[in-house]
Amino acid sequence: MRIFDPHIHMTSRTTDDYEAMRDAGVRALVEPAFWLGQPRTNVGSFVDYFDSLLGWERFRAAQFGIAHHCALALNPKEANDPRCAEVLDVLPRYLAKDGVVAVGEVGYDSMTPEEDDAFARQLELALRHDLPVLVHTPHRDKQAGTQRTLDVVRESGLAPHRVLVDHLNETTVKMVADAGCWMGFSVYPDTKMDEERMVALLAEYGTERMLVNSAADWGRSDPLKTRKTGLAMLDAGFEESDVDTVLWRNPVEFYGQSGRLALEAVAAGAVDAATGSSVLRGER
Amino acid sequence: MTFDLGYGTNGFANHRLDDALAVIADLGYTAVALTLDHHHLDPFAADVVKQTDRLAARLHELGLRVVVETGARYLLDPRRKHHPTLVSSDQEVRIDFLMRAKQIAVALGADCVSFWSGVGSADAWDHLKSGVAAVLESGPSVPIGLEPEPGMVVERLDQALRLRAELGNPDLLRITLDVGHCVAVEPQDAAACIRQAGDLLVNVQLDDMLPRVHEHLEFGEGQLDLPATLAALTDIGYTGVAAVELPRHSHAAPDVAARALRALRAARWLADAERAVRADPGVIDTLFPAAGRAVGAGQDAARVRLLTAFADVSDDPVDGVTRLYRYGTSAERRGVLRGLAEMGDRAPAAGVALVEDALRSNETDLVAAALGPFATRHLGRHAWRHGVLKCLFMGIPLTVVDGLDRHSDAELLRMVAAFADERRAAGRPVPADALALLGKAS
Repeated sequence: MRIFDPHIHMTSRTTDDYEAMRDAGVRALVEPAFWLGQPRTNVGSFVDYFDSLLGWERFRAAQFGIAHHCALALNPKEANDPRCAEVLDVLPRYLAKDGVVAVGEVGYDSMTPEEDDAFARQLELALRHDLPVLVHTPHRDKQAGTQRTLDVVRESGLAPHRVLVDHLNETTVKMVADAGCWMGFSVYPDTKMDEERMVALLAEYGTERMLVNSAADWGRSDPLKTRKTGLAMLDAGFEESDVDTVLWRNPVEFYGQSGRLALEAVAAGAVDAATGSSVLRGER
Repeated sequence: MTFDLGYGTNGFANHRLDDALAVIADLGYTAVALTLDHHHLDPFAADVVKQTDRLAARLHELGLRVVVETGARYLLDPRRKHHPTLVSSDQEVRIDFLMRAKQIAVALGADCVSFWSGVGSADAWDHLKSGVAAVLESGPSVPIGLEPEPGMVVERLDQALRLRAELGNPDLLRITLDVGHCVAVEPQDAAACIRQAGDLLVNVQLDDMLPRVHEHLEFGEGQLDLPATLAALTDIGYTGVAAVELPRHSHAAPDVAARALRALRAARWLADAERAVRADPGVIDTLFPAAGRAVGAGQDAARVRLLTAFADVSDDPVDGVTRLYRYGTSAERRGVLRGLAEMGDRAPAAGVALVEDALRSNETDLVAAALGPFATRHLGRHAWRHGVLKCLFMGIPLTVVDGLDRHSDAELLRMVAAFADERRAAGRPVPADALALLGKAS
C-alpha cells in the first residue's frame, strides 16, 4: 500500500512517527501551515515556521525516504489577531518556493469579518500564484461554515477542482461533492471521522475526488490512520486499486496541479542517508 | 521574435527521416537541420523532386522550420569520408552537390544551405575561393552559410570572414557557426564569436566541446557556457535556426534529443533571468526561488549566476543577498552560500554572518555548502575548525571542505584526535575521514 498523507503536521511529530509511517507505506505528505496550539504573537513567528516547513522538516522527512511538501497560509484562527494578520504581506514571497504545493490551511474558525478578509485575500493569492487551495472547515457550526466556504470559493473565481475542502463528515460531504471541489476527511482516534464511517462514505459517494488524511498534530491523533482506513476499505470489499486511488492517486492529482510535486524523496544532499546525519544520530 | 531551437537529422542516422522528424517535433523542437544523405532525402535519387515536395508538406504539417546541411560522410564517395570537397582537385563534384542542395532548399523553404571548406593545405585557398564563387553563381539564389570546421582550411571564424571579404562580401555568402567548434579552436568564446559574426549569422549548430578536442558532446560535458551563448544570440537579434549537432549520438537519439532540449530550455530560462536581474535587480526575489523548478539539477550553479548578476547591478547587494538567504528555502540558502565564493569578497562581514548561520544548522547540505572557498578566506579559524569537526560528527565527507590540507593546523588535529578518542571510549567507530586526517599529520 503506497500512501500520500495529504494533511499532516509533522513538526509536531517525532522520528518514531516518521519511521512507523515509512514502514506503513507513507512515501509522500503535505504539511499545511496551521495554528501551533500556543498562539503566535508576531509575524516573525510565522516566518520561522514557514522556513521550518520548507527547510528542516523537509530535510527530516527525506532522511526517512518520505517526500515532504507543504501548504502555506495564515490560518483562520490567527487571522483574528492583528499582530499576526500582517503575515499576508510576507506570504507571496513564500508562495513562489519549490515544495509549496498549495495555499492552506485557509477558511473559517469563528466566521468573523477578519476571517472573511484573510480568506478572500488568500484565495486571490492562490489564483495569482497558480496554486490549489486547502480549506479547513470549522469545528463549531460546521454546516453553516462549510456552506459559507463554498460561497466564498465560488465568488473568488477559483475553479472548484483547484480546491480541497477538508475535515468533512456525513453532514457536510454532499454540498462539497455537489460543488465539484475535492473532499478531504480527517480520520482521528476520537473526533472527526473514524475508519468505519469513512468506509461507509466511500461506499456511498465513491472514490472520485475523495482524500483521506490523518491530520496528525500535537493533539491526540494517529499518523497511521491513513493506512488503517486503507485496511478497513479492503476488509469492506474495496479493491486494492480503490485504496490506491484514495490514498495515492487522488492526492497526487490534486496537489499535482501546482506543478511542483517532486515524488522521488528529496535527496539528503552531501551525505548518504545511510552514513548518518544529526537526525539519524550516526550509524544505523 | 526569437530564434528556433532545432535538432540535426544527422543525430538520427538510425531513424527513417519521417520518424526522426516526428520524434523531433514531438519533443518540442520547432526546427530541424536536415543533412542530405543517401537515406535522408538523397539528392541524387531519380524522384528527388517528388520526395522533396512530400517532405516540404510533412515539415509544414509538423510545424518545423528547416535548414539544409551538407556534411554527409559518404554521399559522394563511398570510400573516402567527406570527399571530394571544395579544396579537392575534383571540386566540381562538390559544387554540383551544393547546387542540388540549393534547389532542395528552395523547394523546402529552407533558410539556407550550410557547407564547409574541406581538409587540405593552406595553398588550396584560391582554389577554395573560386569553388565558393562557383557555388554562389550556380543554381537558385539561396543564402549559403560557410561553417568553420576544425581541421579544415577554414576552421576559424576570422578565416571565413576573410574569405568572404576577398570575394567582395557577396550578400548570399553568410556564416554558419557551430558553438562547440568555438570552444575547440577559437581564440574567443562562443558568445564573442556570435557577436563578431553578427548579422552574417545564417545558421547555428549547438553542442558542447572541450578545448582542442573536436568531439561533439552533450551539453554539460564540455566547457561551453550555454546560457551565455544563447544570450548572445538574443543580443544580436538572431532569428534563425539553432539546432543541436550530435552526429555521433544516433544510437540513443530520442533520449539524447530530450536531454538536449531540457538543457536548452534551462539555459534559455537562465539567460533570460540573468538579463532580467541586470535590468531590474528586484526581480531576483521571484527568480531565485524559481530556479529550482526551471533549471533542475544545475540549480546551484544557476543561482550563483543570478547572484553574481545581482551583485553587479544592485545598489545594496549586501542587504539583497542577506534577504535571499533569510527568506530562502534550504536549496536557496545553499545557492547563496555557494555564491559567496564568487561575490562574497565584496562584503566579507555579511558573508561570514551567513556562513555562521549555516554552520549553526543541522542540515548536511547547508553545513557542506558553508565550508567552501569563501569560508577558507574569511571565516575565523576557530569557527572554521568547528565547522570541520561538525562535518565529522554529521558524517559529511571532508572532501566538501575547501582547502582542508592547506589549512589544517595543530589545533584542528588536536580536536579531531580528541573526537576519535571519545568515539573509541564509547566503543563506536571513528569515521574514516578523521583517521585519514590524523594519518596525514603523523
